[in-house]
Formats: sequence, C-alpha cells, structure tokens
Amino acid sequence: MNNIVGVSDMKVSNDLESILVTYSLGSCIGVAIYDQVARVGGLLHFMLPESTIDPIKAKEKPYMFADTGIPCLFKATYQLGAKKQRMKVIVVGGAQVLDQRGFFNIGKRNQMAVRKIFWKNKVMIDYEDVGGDVNRTIKMAIRDGKTWLKTSGKQEIEI
Amino acid sequence: MNEMREIIKDIKRLEPIPQVANRILSLADDPDCPMSELSELILYDQALTANLLRICNSAHFGLSERIESVHHAVVFLGLSQVIDLVLLAGSAKNLKLEQKGYGLHEGELWRNSVSSALIARELADKKGSKNNHLIFTAALLKDIGKVILSRYVSDSFESIYGLVSTQGLSFREAEKEVLGIDHAEVGAMVGETWKFSSRMVEIIRNHHMSEESKYSDFETSIVHLSDMLCMMMGIGVGSDGLAYRFHRGVVDHLGFTDRDMQGIMSDFADKMHQVEEIMNVS
Repeated sequence: MNNIVGVSDMKVSNDLESILVTYSLGSCIGVAIYDQVARVGGLLHFMLPESTIDPIKAKEKPYMFADTGIPCLFKATYQLGAKKQRMKVIVVGGAQVLDQRGFFNIGKRNQMAVRKIFWKNKVMIDYEDVGGDVNRTIKMAIRDGKTWLKTSGKQEIEI
Repeated sequence: MNEMREIIKDIKRLEPIPQVANRILSLADDPDCPMSELSELILYDQALTANLLRICNSAHFGLSERIESVHHAVVFLGLSQVIDLVLLAGSAKNLKLEQKGYGLHEGELWRNSVSSALIARELADKKGSKNNHLIFTAALLKDIGKVILSRYVSDSFESIYGLVSTQGLSFREAEKEVLGIDHAEVGAMVGETWKFSSRMVEIIRNHHMSEESKYSDFETSIVHLSDMLCMMMGIGVGSDGLAYRFHRGVVDHLGFTDRDMQGIMSDFADKMHQVEEIMNVS
C-alpha cells in the first residue's frame, strides 16, 4: 500500500505492507531511513534548509525545513523501536534550475543543510543522489527496506 | 516544413478557450471598465458559470454559505478573484490532459499551471501590480504550447534529452534545436490563434526569457519567476526536469531578496492543498 509523503511532510511506519513514497523532488530533498532489525522506516520531504527564516511556521510545519524536519524523522522512528546505529540513510533531491551564477541555489543549500546536520550528529549517508537538473521520486518498502529511485528522463532503479 | 504545418493544424484542433474568457480578459485590466459589465459577461456562458460556482463552493474557500449565482460570488469573493476563477475554469480542458512527451501524467500540467498562476498573482500583488489578470492568465497558459508539442517531443525525446545532458542546453533550447520550434513559441502561436492580446502573446513567448531584452519587462519577469519557483518545488515537473535557465537579472529587476523567495515558497507550500481542491472541481 503506497503511503504518500507530500511536500513538507514526513511519514514513519512499521507496517510491513506499507510503501512510503514521495513524488517530484525538485530542489527539495527526500531523506529516507530504515532499520533492518526493527523493520521501521521513515521518509521526509523537506523544502527549505533553515527554519530561521520563519520560526513560527517551523513550529506548525517542522517538516518544511531541514533543521527541524530531520530530527523529527529520526525521533519518530526511534519511537517505533529503530536505533540510530542500525539506520540505513538515503538522501535524494536537491536539484537546481540552470543558473550559472548560482543565485538562489536552494537545491545546493538544502544539500549543505543535510550534510551539516548529519555531520554534527555523526550520521553516515549510505546512498546519495543529489543535484543536477533532474526531478526525482523515491519509494521505500517497509517490509525489507528496498528502495527505488526514479529520475526524470530515466528508468526507475533499485538502490 | 511539414511539421510546422502539422503544428498549425494541431493548434486549430485544440479546444478553444471560451470566447467569454477572452472578452473578460480584454476588459478586466481596463480600470475604466464597469464591474457590472464584467459580471454580466460571465453570466452569458452557462458552462463557465457552472464551473465557477463549483470552484467557489469548494473547500478551498471554506465559505459558510453556498454560492448560488455569479452575483453572489462577486459579493463574497470580490470581482477580481471571480475573474481569475473564470479564466481558470476556461483553461482547464486542454491543460488537464496527460502530456506524454513531457512525462506529465494526467493533471500534472494543470497542477503546474494553477500553482504558477497563484504564485504569479501573489508576486504581482507584492509588487503592487495593476495588470494582475494579465499576469495570472499568462502564468496559467504559459505552457499551453506543451499540449501541442508533446507528441513531437515524444518522437524526438532521445535527441532532445541528449542535447540537454551532454551539451548543457536547456530543454527549451534543445526543443528549438531538434524540432525547429520550442513550446514557448508554440504557446505564442496558440495565443495568436485564440486572439489573445499581443501583450499576452509576448509574455507566453518569452516566459523562459529567450530574449535578454525581456529581463526588465515586469509582467514577463513575474511569470518567469513563478515558473522557476514551481520547478524548484517540484510542482508538475516532468521528464524535462529542472533543465530551464533561471535569469538572475529578472530577480534583480523585480527587487526580490533571497529571503523573500524562500518566504514565497514556504507560504505556497501551505496552500498546496488548496491547489488540489481547485484541480478537483475545475
């Protein structure tokens, strides 16, 4: 059963029938995590790097921002029994429009925000497909953590 | 060129935008036009009126009472918003369809069009623009050329995508290189066929800023920026991905800061469910 994660949204699950999916990551980033032992997974689709641009909104919509959304994602999976040290971590998205001068490169800044948070919290990324000018869709099966990535203009691949 | 003749034939086969929408558009941005004349125009088209009332009564507006007439809608929502909704209702048919060449499933081009129009409207309001209906409609219909060009793009996708991925061309530039025409130019041809104002035709033709001289054109810049923001948010993005050029000159001319742009994105993300509402009823 597809469980759709919208923009500025997050879902975690331990339902073995569930498939978490988020469509159309442009400059946004999808962070998918999975604990093989607990069979618990989560998927976050955040849009902007830092909640400091609007702290009030960040309280209402923590999944909109990397710095508030990523901690929520991990904590929600811990509540279902997942452990940080067993977590497989996948990061995709952060594309950008063609802009040689790099103005308003929100895709790149989203990537940097993820790296910063993971570095601070000693989280290793197992698979990363970020940047470029492509659109991405990611889905993850809670049964076994199998994850698929569809990039615009290409066939879906298992990662 | 044979393909060009085919394209012209295809344009003629499109479901035309209702005449009334066109007339409303020509009147709406005229500050001297009496409001009563505009609402009467809407009343003449029953199908359009029905669509309009469906949209007004959707959860999007969350109104406490049911809107039963155009007059009622104008009182509740204001004429300006009603005009936008009429234009939206009149554009839905063509834009809702699947566009295989661009890898857009049914409804995705429509989602992009509605979102882009709402963002453009927001940007225009922020800058105190007086040509809001022109901007709204141009943003709504900017990609109408994709509806025509889709099957040609589908036939030549490998060549077009090849130029994008190996030569650094934008998708529009690659369309032009391979097909001899791009979706913005085809969109302008559609606008001419539908007797849009020359201003509207020019905005559609230049919404990717193919001419540098358009950087300082306010309305075109707003439509360009709203399109770019939609792509970044991944709204209705197809196999062409984000492979379009973003021109910094546009943002400089408009005077938006980086913080403004992030604010616009985060505000719009809150409204995405409203776009779904509009899509479901239009």
